[in-house]
Amino acid sequence: MSKTPDPKSTGTGAGKPAGEESTVKVPSKDPKKKDDKKDEDLSEEDLALKQQLELYVERVQDADPGLQKVALESMRQEIRTATSSMTSVPKPLKFLRPHYGTLKGFYEKMPDSDLKTLLADILSVLALTMSAEGERESLKYRLLGSQGDIGSWGHEYVRNLAGEIGQEYAKRQSEEAPIDDLMELVQQIVSFNMKHNAEPDAVDLLIEVEDLDLLVEHVDSSNCKRTCSYLTSFAKYLPGPDDMLVLDIAYTIYMKFEEYPLALVTALALDNMQSIKQVFTSCDDNLMKRQFCYILARHGQTFDIDEELCASDEEREVLQEIVNNVKLSEGYLALARDIEVMEAKTPDDIYKPHLLDGRASAGASVDSARQNLAATFVNAFVNAGFGQDKLMTVPSEATSGGSSASWLFKNKEHGKASAAASLGMILLWDVDSGLAQLDKYFHSTDTHVIAGALLGVGIVNCGIKNDCDPALALLAEYVDKDDPSIRIGAIMGLGLAYAGAQNEQIRSILTPILGDNKASLDVIAFAAISLGLVYVGSCNEEIAQAIIFSLMERIESELGDPLSRLLPLGLGLLYLGKQESVEATAEVSKTFHEKIRKHCDMTLLSCAYAGTGNVLKVQHFLGECAQHLEKGESYQGAAVLGIAMVAMSEELGLEMTIRSLEHLLQYGDQNIRRAVPLALGLLCISNPKVNVMDTLSRLSHDSDTEVAMAAIISLGLIGAGTNNARIAGILRNLSSYHYKEANLLFCLRIAQGLVHLGKGLMTLSPYHSERFLLSPTALAGLITVLHICLDMKAIILGKYHYVLYFLTLAMQPRMLMTVDENLKPLSVPVRVGQAVDVTGQAGRPKTITGFQTHSTPVLLAAGDRAELATEKYIPLSPILEGFVILKENPECRDDN
Amino acid sequence: MVDHVTTIYQCTLPFHEYKINSRGHLPFSTSKLSHPNSKQNQKPLPSPHPANAEAPITMVTVSVKWQKEVYPAVEIDISQPPYVFKCQLYDLTGVPPERQKIMVKGGLLKDDADWSKVGVKEGQRLMMMGTADEIVKAPEKGPIFVEDMPEEEQVVNVVLRKKYPQFGQQSNGAFMQQDAEECWTQLLYTLSQSLKLPSSSEGLDVVKALFGIEFDNRIHCAESGEESTETETVYSLKCHISQEVNHLHEGLKRGLKSELEKASPSLGRSAVYVKDSRINGLPRYLTIQFVRFFWKRESNQKAKILRKVDYPLSLDVYDLCSDNLRKKLEGPRQVLRDAEGKKAGLKTSVKTSVSTAGDSKMTEAEESSSGSGEASKSTAQEGLLPEEEHQLTGIYDLVAVLTHKGRSADSGHYVAWVKQENGKWVQFDDDNPILQREEDITKLSGGGDWHMAYICMYKARVVPM
Repeated sequence: MSKTPDPKSTGTGAGKPAGEESTVKVPSKDPKKKDDKKDEDLSEEDLALKQQLELYVERVQDADPGLQKVALESMRQEIRTATSSMTSVPKPLKFLRPHYGTLKGFYEKMPDSDLKTLLADILSVLALTMSAEGERESLKYRLLGSQGDIGSWGHEYVRNLAGEIGQEYAKRQSEEAPIDDLMELVQQIVSFNMKHNAEPDAVDLLIEVEDLDLLVEHVDSSNCKRTCSYLTSFAKYLPGPDDMLVLDIAYTIYMKFEEYPLALVTALALDNMQSIKQVFTSCDDNLMKRQFCYILARHGQTFDIDEELCASDEEREVLQEIVNNVKLSEGYLALARDIEVMEAKTPDDIYKPHLLDGRASAGASVDSARQNLAATFVNAFVNAGFGQDKLMTVPSEATSGGSSASWLFKNKEHGKASAAASLGMILLWDVDSGLAQLDKYFHSTDTHVIAGALLGVGIVNCGIKNDCDPALALLAEYVDKDDPSIRIGAIMGLGLAYAGAQNEQIRSILTPILGDNKASLDVIAFAAISLGLVYVGSCNEEIAQAIIFSLMERIESELGDPLSRLLPLGLGLLYLGKQESVEATAEVSKTFHEKIRKHCDMTLLSCAYAGTGNVLKVQHFLGECAQHLEKGESYQGAAVLGIAMVAMSEELGLEMTIRSLEHLLQYGDQNIRRAVPLALGLLCISNPKVNVMDTLSRLSHDSDTEVAMAAIISLGLIGAGTNNARIAGILRNLSSYHYKEANLLFCLRIAQGLVHLGKGLMTLSPYHSERFLLSPTALAGLITVLHICLDMKAIILGKYHYVLYFLTLAMQPRMLMTVDENLKPLSVPVRVGQAVDVTGQAGRPKTITGFQTHSTPVLLAAGDRAELATEKYIPLSPILEGFVILKENPECRDDN
Repeated sequence: MVDHVTTIYQCTLPFHEYKINSRGHLPFSTSKLSHPNSKQNQKPLPSPHPANAEAPITMVTVSVKWQKEVYPAVEIDISQPPYVFKCQLYDLTGVPPERQKIMVKGGLLKDDADWSKVGVKEGQRLMMMGTADEIVKAPEKGPIFVEDMPEEEQVVNVVLRKKYPQFGQQSNGAFMQQDAEECWTQLLYTLSQSLKLPSSSEGLDVVKALFGIEFDNRIHCAESGEESTETETVYSLKCHISQEVNHLHEGLKRGLKSELEKASPSLGRSAVYVKDSRINGLPRYLTIQFVRFFWKRESNQKAKILRKVDYPLSLDVYDLCSDNLRKKLEGPRQVLRDAEGKKAGLKTSVKTSVSTAGDSKMTEAEESSSGSGEASKSTAQEGLLPEEEHQLTGIYDLVAVLTHKGRSADSGHYVAWVKQENGKWVQFDDDNPILQREEDITKLSGGGDWHMAYICMYKARVVPM
């Protein structure tokens, strides 16, 4: 606004409140007088404009159409050329405000003509500031108007229209009125928005009018990534099935613009095999297909490359090998060598007893089976995948198997099973050496050792597929042995090795066990879990039936056994993340014995909505937790875990849930309090947030041992594979605090082992690919362990401690490994830093902050993102995680 | 190893037989890759004879993956049972057929399976699992776990604690540090109660013979002039430490004189008596305790004296002995001096020693003044030796030191330093034995924060008479 004093208004009423003029809606009868007042604080220029506009308004009402036309067009010209900031109303609009009513009235009286539509256009724009709330006049006149170029009136107008369309659409939907004219307009708006960097607006509008398909034709290669990033990130906030719809659109767009890796990732999120195949068939770059295979392998997707997907035999073999994860071990070891952590660690290296004052370490002259077992697990977790350790593997030929056997037999009974299986963990992913080293245990006379060997075979093969199916070949014949521990070993081994594979043969082997009257409850329970793992998220009817029948056959006393809870869990895993598909089964579960009915209900629901972020389900579970139960019921534990399972999908909901869980801690009953630490553990898995760490540290001193144990295990979970010094310190101090209580000490040791999982090279997080994809098998493994932890005493502290090996399913190296076109490791500089959410931001914002430059292979912590720091190569996948193939950048000139 | 070799031959046998029985040619050929471990002399195999065409030649070439190796182009004669194929693989890998597990599409290959049903295809990759490794066997004696023991036996010292409840005292939930000397005394006492010589009916006390020190005490009251004598047996000599004591000998001497207050029958009140002790009988093994721990009355707490008190590697207690005993010792001491003077010693003394091999060995060890191990078995045996043959000389050699490290009486660390039969010293620090030099042993005399001697064990130097 010009500050030059107006010559006509010297001194009088300079402080006139500006509000007065805006209250006047209808022009007064004496415009001249009014004008005088208004003119007081107007510059000369503005005054001229104002008078000009008033003239136009008068002329519009003139009888002469010619004059009218000129006036209208001039008025339009004025409005269009007006430039103003977003915060104030453009001047022409402001000056026309008093005449809005006049013009509206005149419009009604006008006969239909071109001029009338022209006036409607102007009215539509004027309505932008004048229309009363909820009238949607802007839209009304727009529809009556010329339908001309919408963008000519500016962004603000379009935004306003879009808003009004949303409301109008909802109204018309309820009245079942036709919407064709609206859609016409939507087309225009979307097209305008997409062209002008307002993709989120376009997407929002289309969502409101429920016609997202329109988006596809308006996207072009320049805005496709931004559009899809908006689509995929807000899909998390949509309830099913809309989220799938949105992802599907994103997939279509990616496919259209040949962003194949992202299309594949989206297809995986959709869990749509057809789409995955389509990505393969659409792309004819072999190198790119290899990258696809790496993505599939990371997700744990079982996938057969057939001739249709890749014509060349040779190339097909290479691709299949990648999908089968055969080289995972090699890559992991390359990472370990690069970071120089190959040296095996002993449990004492983890416990660091020298940092504690005397008493914790003193007086262990007699072996404690419990402590040895803990050491076995710690050793397995810490040296997982390294192929060498100091307890189970023989360092050299010299000792000729002596030391291995001796540690094995330092474990008691069922402990030997865990010890033998730990060899599988140490040789994780390395099927060839793993099977060779486990072989010796197969010939043992000790049933526990054999059981452990069987389990070990499963662990070694976890996530790795092989044409020869060694796990199936080796384990199948043991499933029907008499000894229950051998049976469990074989069953669990199959579950681990074939998780997510949906293998028919396994189904035919395991399903009969569920109906076997002679089988003991534990065998049946593990069979149910293994079936759930193998058919995770498949909604397989037959297996569901088998588990349901098995549950119905259980006698009441068996239902009281904590192991019986694994049956509903197995059932739940079948529907993992499948939302509504669970409903029929959930209905059936209402007929179960009352002892398990509620628990079953909670488990099914939580599994079905796991990772969806469905707020309604979270509320449902919270509601369940608000009940005060009579003694003896414990289904609320499953409900608490359910909250975490559902809410873990996105950051915002996760934070809210952490806060809600704090309330549960304060007001919940004992069975809720026991589950809260576990829920926190799941929410922050391998992501040690300081506030959660503090809460858990506090709970680890709880007077209720169960709460303390759960908190300790959860400390291990949130720190899993991070080597987090603070958690390590907390646990170390706890170990001297709890040194007398064998149970707590055992949990502590496990937690210490977890924190140093794979010497800090691994993660347990089921989320990957920039936290977009959720690996169902990893999640299944985690929730199995957590459900089991609901009753720690009976299972983990009892004789089923080997259930901890279910964590293998979630174990993945947290690395970025760049390989060249021949899949050989290639070291390039990369910047690694905290990921920044750039969804919906304009321009090309930085995607990471606080970065450091390293050479690959590098470790990626939770929330980290990497980007190439060199122009020499182009990554084939925009998501720099796991294995990424680099190809040379043809445009890059070597400056040297 | 012998077992291993036989199994090799057992399983190779059919293979060779088969070679001979075949009609002039081998139905299969192994690839040239031969396992280095394979003990067979593999001759170059003749190529299949083309004339024998009447039998359908049913060869399938497959590759076999074993551990990290791939054996390409292994030919299978599918008219033969898979066992033959396994023998072939045995040649390549050295894994006995019965230990081989061959995986064919989700199943294991059985020895008697029918190849046609297995459905093996040309170029298929088979996977073999199996090693010739030793099979793990459970150790004969499994470890004993704390959890297996009855509740009260879950700690090593449980028996001790049961017998002597005072050792079971706890503070802050943990067992308290106990006095080693107290423990030693109790052990000896218990042993003396239960260990009796079966041969001697008069109930000669073994423990007393080995460790007992006889004292002649003369109790004298300066006031009343009363005097009485008594004899007493103790199991250790006390070395009292005061400002003046710098050497073990001084401490021992002070220990022989003590004042005590007791009711005097003649005075009708309590009076101060002086107790003057002389050793009247020496043991085979002399235990000396440095009285380092005492009750500080001012502060009402146990305290430790850190003062340095030297002790010799060989100790002469002659001047602590009573006249009686001195006389007895004269002879043997003379012999010892002579022997040392002549420096002839060893062989002659062996001749005069007892005839049994074990004993002579013992003597030899003793004579070389190295001192034998003090394992109770051997010492007990030794204690039986008739006195006529071995005479005490009053000279003792240091064989073991128990040290205490730490500043207070309630905490710290006990370590044993023991001389081995071979003359070497070993420090037993919990479960951790460390070799030590003899000259370092005398450095354990205190005066700092290092380990300091608390109990010393000396072994008598004897001469055959």
